[in-house]
Amino acid sequence: MSAHDHTPPDDATGVDRREFLRLTSAVAAASALATAGCQVPPEATVPFHDMPETLVDGLGRARYFHTVLDGTPVLVRTREGRPILVTPPANDPSGRGLAVRHQAALMDLYDPDRARGPLSVRRRPDTAVAANWQAAGADVVAKLKTAGANAVLLTGAVTSPALAAVIAGLSATTGLRHVVWTPLATDAAGTAWTQAFGHGAVAKPRLDTADLIVGLGAEFLDRPDDGMEGDFAKRRSPDQPAGGRMSRFVQLEGRLTLTGANADRRIRVRDSQLATIGAALAHELVVVRRLGPLADDAAVTGALGPFAIDTIAATVGVDAAVLKALAAELAAAAGRALVLAGGSASTAANGAAVELAAVVLNVTLGAFAGGHFDEAAAQLPAAGGAAALARLADDMRGGRVDVLLVAGANPVYDAPSAVDIASAIAAVPFVVSLNDRLDETSRLADLLAPASHPFECWADAALPRGVVAMQQPVVQPLADTRGLLDVLVEWAAALGNDAARTAVTAASAPVPAPLPATAERARSTSVAFHYLRAAWAARLALDPATPAFERAWTDVLRTGWWQGPTPVAGTRALSSAALSLFGAPAASAAGLELQLYPHLALADGRGGNNGWLHELPDPVTRMTWGGALSIAPRRFDEMLLLNGDLIEVDTGGAKVVAPAYRHAGMHYDQVALPLGLGRVACGPIGDGIGVNAFPLRVVDGGRLVAAALPVTLRKVPGTVPLALAQGSDVIDRDARPIVPTTTLTAYEADRKAGTEQTEGGPSAWPAHDYPKGRWAMAIDLSKCNGCGKCVIGCQAENNIPIVGRHGMLDGREMSWLRIDRYYDAPKKDGGWDADVWDGPLDVVEDPQTLFEPMLCQHCENAPCETVCPFSATMHSEDGLNQQIYNRCVGTRYCANNCPFKVRRFNYWELSKRQDSSFFRWLVPRIAKNAELNTREPMQMKNNPEVTVRSRGVMEKCSFCVQRIRAARADATREGTSKDHLADGAVVPACMEACPTNAITFGDINQPESRVAAQAAHPRAMKLLESVGVKPSVSYLTKVRNDKV
Amino acid sequence: MTGRRSSARLITIVIVAIAVTGALGFAFSNVRAGYEPRQPIAFSHRRMAGAPVMQPDAKGQPVNIGGFNIPCMYCHTMAYKSRHATLPSTAVCMNCHSTVGLNKEWVLKMKDYWDRGQPIPWIKVHDLPDFVYFDHSAHLNAKNVDGTSKLSLTDEHGQPMVACQNCHGKVQEMDVVSVTQTFNMQWCINCHRQPAIQASTDCVTCHR
Repeated sequence: MSAHDHTPPDDATGVDRREFLRLTSAVAAASALATAGCQVPPEATVPFHDMPETLVDGLGRARYFHTVLDGTPVLVRTREGRPILVTPPANDPSGRGLAVRHQAALMDLYDPDRARGPLSVRRRPDTAVAANWQAAGADVVAKLKTAGANAVLLTGAVTSPALAAVIAGLSATTGLRHVVWTPLATDAAGTAWTQAFGHGAVAKPRLDTADLIVGLGAEFLDRPDDGMEGDFAKRRSPDQPAGGRMSRFVQLEGRLTLTGANADRRIRVRDSQLATIGAALAHELVVVRRLGPLADDAAVTGALGPFAIDTIAATVGVDAAVLKALAAELAAAAGRALVLAGGSASTAANGAAVELAAVVLNVTLGAFAGGHFDEAAAQLPAAGGAAALARLADDMRGGRVDVLLVAGANPVYDAPSAVDIASAIAAVPFVVSLNDRLDETSRLADLLAPASHPFECWADAALPRGVVAMQQPVVQPLADTRGLLDVLVEWAAALGNDAARTAVTAASAPVPAPLPATAERARSTSVAFHYLRAAWAARLALDPATPAFERAWTDVLRTGWWQGPTPVAGTRALSSAALSLFGAPAASAAGLELQLYPHLALADGRGGNNGWLHELPDPVTRMTWGGALSIAPRRFDEMLLLNGDLIEVDTGGAKVVAPAYRHAGMHYDQVALPLGLGRVACGPIGDGIGVNAFPLRVVDGGRLVAAALPVTLRKVPGTVPLALAQGSDVIDRDARPIVPTTTLTAYEADRKAGTEQTEGGPSAWPAHDYPKGRWAMAIDLSKCNGCGKCVIGCQAENNIPIVGRHGMLDGREMSWLRIDRYYDAPKKDGGWDADVWDGPLDVVEDPQTLFEPMLCQHCENAPCETVCPFSATMHSEDGLNQQIYNRCVGTRYCANNCPFKVRRFNYWELSKRQDSSFFRWLVPRIAKNAELNTREPMQMKNNPEVTVRSRGVMEKCSFCVQRIRAARADATREGTSKDHLADGAVVPACMEACPTNAITFGDINQPESRVAAQAAHPRAMKLLESVGVKPSVSYLTKVRNDKV
Repeated sequence: MTGRRSSARLITIVIVAIAVTGALGFAFSNVRAGYEPRQPIAFSHRRMAGAPVMQPDAKGQPVNIGGFNIPCMYCHTMAYKSRHATLPSTAVCMNCHSTVGLNKEWVLKMKDYWDRGQPIPWIKVHDLPDFVYFDHSAHLNAKNVDGTSKLSLTDEHGQPMVACQNCHGKVQEMDVVSVTQTFNMQWCINCHRQPAIQASTDCVTCHR
């Protein structure tokens, strides 16, 4: 220390402190004068001309509507007439579930790249000019009339009975042919069940009743719209009600799927060998153990004869002892066991045999008789295989098609290359596309008559269990588009169809002028509306002119669906002739085989321009914005590859070049590529993301084969960086006990097993007193399957922008909630050293996968709060860690001090339009960010209850504080206590979206609340106890059922 | 040598200081009180909501030259129900003005909006920043333990007043509505932290 007696001049500025203060105060006085004249800029506030009566209690509050999206009932939350959130409806009787693409449908609705109106394309998309509906319709009708039976309507799966009726009406009137092409449909289950039982209705397995579930490549968690994940989760908690037990799930598969990642035991099997293994298990049970009704059927035992486990074990590459143990396990669980197939492996050439093996095993184990199948939910598998499309292509090339209408199908993108649909379309004189944009198929059309988004138009949908749901519009069409049903009814009417004519007459009846406060609702001018009403009058057996019908109709609109008679279950007596499907055991397959699997979020790729779907990390690979060729870790290392190295994938018929990815848990002889990527004409958001693997599929005897395809790989020069959302894969829980997990045996011995961690020392901070309750969350990792629906729910609710592929590569993701995926490193003598991060083969060849949703933990002693120099993040009196955007200046200290890495910084202006062409030119990324987030009408998706953040501020999970405040305001209005809300009054968006009820939220200080019970559970663990941050989020141990 | 450098530094400091204090001065200056924008229609709250004043006209007949005493909630219907107090739709004006006042210039202008089916583009007077989430209903329904309103129902002279006046002032005496309070955060917080009111002073009460 120096001996100066006053503050020395600061070396950096040359000005001492006093002088600085003198200057500052003088300037302050001057600027106070300067700002005295400032005023807020005037802002308009525009009331209604005449407020609709229905809004009397609804202004500034959400309204909910039931509708159907893509064959799944959804509940849509709207504000001021704009849909802002898609949620699962409560008590949906059909048992369908939401996939992430349903939740992300808002981005499809507000997609700026949809066609804004009809376009005259004339096969020259770059010079397409606007058309009008009237003239275009007249043109199409005239052409349809002339073409007669030489007109074809090509659609995707038709779930709407009304739409099917119009198409049937059109066919009857003009002879129009209807062809269905659903790119992901597989006929394997239909073939097997038809041969086995004489009818193709495939019953829905009940995962909530079976004690043992064995999957032959099952993918029920990867395809959540089948609605099985909720049932599955019911039995995945180790704490079952008295008499119940936790179910055990054994999966046999070649690629580590989301379903397999949730298995208790996973056996790596190539797709081509699954049928043989299934038959071998059946042989062991039926022939060796003489179990079940088929044991005395000579035809069955004869067909299974060649499949003795000892005979086939060597060729399938699985130890005979493993298979025998599995068969013994199944035999012991007879009557309580269920065998599932139906995944990507069923698209192999012998896929029907895989399905048949599951059927035979289920019959043997008594799964049908034991009620482990929901026969009321039995469904005919979606039709629309490759055979029909190939025939159509031949007809088109042969000049037997004069007019082609395409609606909801994109064969130019997703047909197998052998069909060569593009050349076939070129041979058709007049092609009309009813798709929603100038996509791959529409670009080859003469006319684009764009269909509205399902949220904009009327239709209905036939669902399992006899449920028929209504698709009602929740918003006016955003552009000059029309509903598919509207268009077809109008054209059918013009062609002379009677039912359609009646609807058109009703729709064109004069509309009464709107009067102030009229009780009568304005009549809809939608022809589909009137067509539906007539169809529903017949369905409900009511006269449409009576008040009884009006009541029933309103009731259907309000509840969203109508329960019809449930289908009658067919018999489940196995015809032994079906077993010929097994044939002989597959020969020992040498070489690699390829599996093409639907992208978990994008599915068939129709939502290719949806940024939410691209940016949702694949739960298993954690990959965003694109896909990669999954290669087994050992082969990957042998090929001396690095993630992203380009590989040429050659199936003989077609080749693609894709980046390589070291995919833990892959079978050594199997590689996999996702379908649904590589769109070239969906819009600037999705164009060119990933590679299109659809052309690699082959047609074999009319069946589409997408798995077990022989393939050769060749490394080609070049690397494409993979946008992985997570850096490290493997976790050594001895060193970092941050995911509670244990086995059922250990759990039954010690209910706190798996939650061990280093205890923290005494806290330096005074304890908080929470007089008004304390918000807290509990996440049951045994129920969480890592699907990622909470992530999309959060993104929609909280106006979280997408950062794009470039943003993900820079590690600039904005998602407030992520699902960390870890591969659990087994205990090792002396502990793992740093090499655990490199994913040693011992761990990643046969990984134990852990999922952990990670969000702001709202710590009691939050490290972020103490370091913020501006108090922009503070603790609330009810336990929230508040983030105040208008106070934040972006020092990022908080994010650096957060041990959970859940804080997100806005490095870019993502949610605001960037109008400066100079800056867009200077930094092209500004233009790209704007393209992803801020083009009209994308802003309409924003939740008005949440601030849209701008550049330079920190943000993070708020526990959906807007919903907490809304519940408090409700309590105030109702005169009840706002500080002690009823349990369940606040449901955050992630909890609302969770299909398995893994998330619980509430006031932990209310002893009777569910979250208090969860947090007090022996399985509960709060993370990083050693650091002493005291989180508000409890994680309940992930328990693996190891009890054979 | 140091002379030139330090004067450059001095200038830099002055510029930075001007910017900082200017920003602070803007933040704490009284930018809202007294705001009195011109409206598309010269609607007088004094005439509609003020107290009646009877005066004989030229013929000696009593005429109301004051107001019609219409309660706030006749027009701002949602104040107790919703976040927004809401402006009345033109249809509400037409409840009376379909028959009365049809000889007055501004009534005719309003009727013109009605006839054209267009809403009236009012200018917001009490305008909070967009990052403030204010809820009228939560304030008007806020009750003490004994069931009395947390908002004061008497004015500074002990005379009864409507709860709205706590923030909006004596609107019933204004021909042109102006902002009578500062409407800045300090003003909000001053009420929220009064011991008698005990409203939340958490940031997320208003910002989220």
